[in-house]
Amino acid sequence: MKEPVRKTKHPYIVGACVAAIAGFYFYLVADKTKFPEPGENLVYDIKKFEDVDNVATRYKEGKPIVPTVDGPKAMEIDGAGNLFVGGKGAIAVYDASGAETSRIAVDGAATCLEFTPDGRLLVGLEDRVAVLGADHKTMATWSGFAERTLITSIAANAEEVFLADAANRCVLRVDYDGKVLNEIGKADEARDIPGLEVPSPYFDMAFDDEGSLWVVNPGKLGLERYRSNGDIVTSWYRPSLELDGFSGCCNPTHIAFNSAGRLVTCEKGLVRVKIYEVTAGSFEELVVGSKSFKVAQSVSDMVVDASDRVLVLDSRQKAVRIFEPEAPAVAKAVP
Amino acid sequence: MSERKKLDRRDFMRGAAAVAFTGATWAAVGEKTETKYWQLDPAKCTQCGRCTTHCVLTPSAVKCLNQFDICGYCDLCFGYLQPGSRNLDTGAENQLCPTAAIERKYIEAPYYEYKIHEDKCIGCAKCVKACLVFGNGSFYLQIRQDICINCNECSIAKSCPSDCFSEVPESNPYMFLTGDTHLAHPPA
Ligand code: SF4
Ligand code: SF4
Ligand code: SF4
Repeated sequence: MKEPVRKTKHPYIVGACVAAIAGFYFYLVADKTKFPEPGENLVYDIKKFEDVDNVATRYKEGKPIVPTVDGPKAMEIDGAGNLFVGGKGAIAVYDASGAETSRIAVDGAATCLEFTPDGRLLVGLEDRVAVLGADHKTMATWSGFAERTLITSIAANAEEVFLADAANRCVLRVDYDGKVLNEIGKADEARDIPGLEVPSPYFDMAFDDEGSLWVVNPGKLGLERYRSNGDIVTSWYRPSLELDGFSGCCNPTHIAFNSAGRLVTCEKGLVRVKIYEVTAGSFEELVVGSKSFKVAQSVSDMVVDASDRVLVLDSRQKAVRIFEPEAPAVAKAVP
Repeated sequence: MSERKKLDRRDFMRGAAAVAFTGATWAAVGEKTETKYWQLDPAKCTQCGRCTTHCVLTPSAVKCLNQFDICGYCDLCFGYLQPGSRNLDTGAENQLCPTAAIERKYIEAPYYEYKIHEDKCIGCAKCVKACLVFGNGSFYLQIRQDICINCNECSIAKSCPSDCFSEVPESNPYMFLTGDTHLAHPPA
């Protein structure tokens, strides 16, 4: 007698195994290849923009300072080299070694800081300015500038104070009683003033070594130099993704001058810190490139100290990162 | 009498157990039958492009939205323009969007409104990434619930490299951008 029953069972077992393997294959491979991967036209490639600043720099990063204030947003350095970092409700003071030496309570969130030539500390508190004496006690508060004010930068000389108002897209020139004397930077065809374009709350200004006021026009990706009366003296714009230009919709976010009178700039998005000759607006060197930061980052503030170290308040790392030049700074060109 | 009382107590315990069991079962079943929708978290999205290619629908149910209270209304909008374009015009060669789904509308000098035509948008996220890197980050992706067929297992969720997808309740089917928006200021 033959035993056909046992034989006829095999095809079912083999079939089941084949089906299982095929199912497993489809689960692992076929299902995943059902959808094509997005090609070049569907993906925005950031790397090629980062590679633009892949060049040598003579700046080396030192030990950072980790500020203890909540929401650190503003920095300034006093005449003795102490670093002041302002945040929500407080300003922390650090000595040259990076140790916290004192803390000043403020009524609000500090958005910017500036020392006057006689040592008073001006604290931007969104829509107000607190004036602090040498003992760090509040001497006065200036307020009531406009219905909607956001002070993002302060520049002070012996006679007057300039407040960058990002919400009203202009610079307010005020006296030492906080009274507005005039507005600077509003579009005025008759005076050849193109108008400050401020699409985001990044709006900075600084005095050069001759005391001239340079104001960033972030929407036009450049700088404008103004007289106190609001006349525009000169301007230059550098919209470009290349290293010698400013990228994005609104940059640079922060500016400062070094001891050689060179302009140090900081950008958001692709964070790049660079040095320019300010009159011609010509790029000179890179301090730090975008690879040192997270993409789509914005730095909270940037200052340059007396030794030309560039201090960057890194919003992601919540640290003051310090970039120190290895060789002497570039000498100022003789005109 | 005492026998009856005992029975009553036992019956009562049984009844209570039955009610508790039924209640628990009802609650469990009720929870499972509550409608949930797939949605992506824009804060986690890394704009990989798979939202375009991995949705079972063509075009994808994922669309780009513009959160206007964050938008800078920029003239030089990197979400709209090809990087490096010199001409600020609406010519196709200058537009970043592969389907020309973004409309640029003049508001007041020098501010422009950027409106997404969702019927043209394929959810590629190119504009989202460009706006995030170079602008204020007001563009973001969301699954449009009126288009999505709410697959049992969302096929984009299966392949999303950033683990953006989760099931959200019917009462709250979108995830808007969060963050400090009060400092941004569209034209007054
Ligand atoms: S798949 Fe994920 S990471 Fe990629 S675009 Fe969609 S949500 Fe963003
Ligand atoms: S670039 Fe992509 S995500 Fe943005 S609007 Fe166009 S199709 Fe939609
Ligand atoms: S659930 Fe389905 S239709 Fe909806 S987004 Fe995911 S894949 Fe597309």
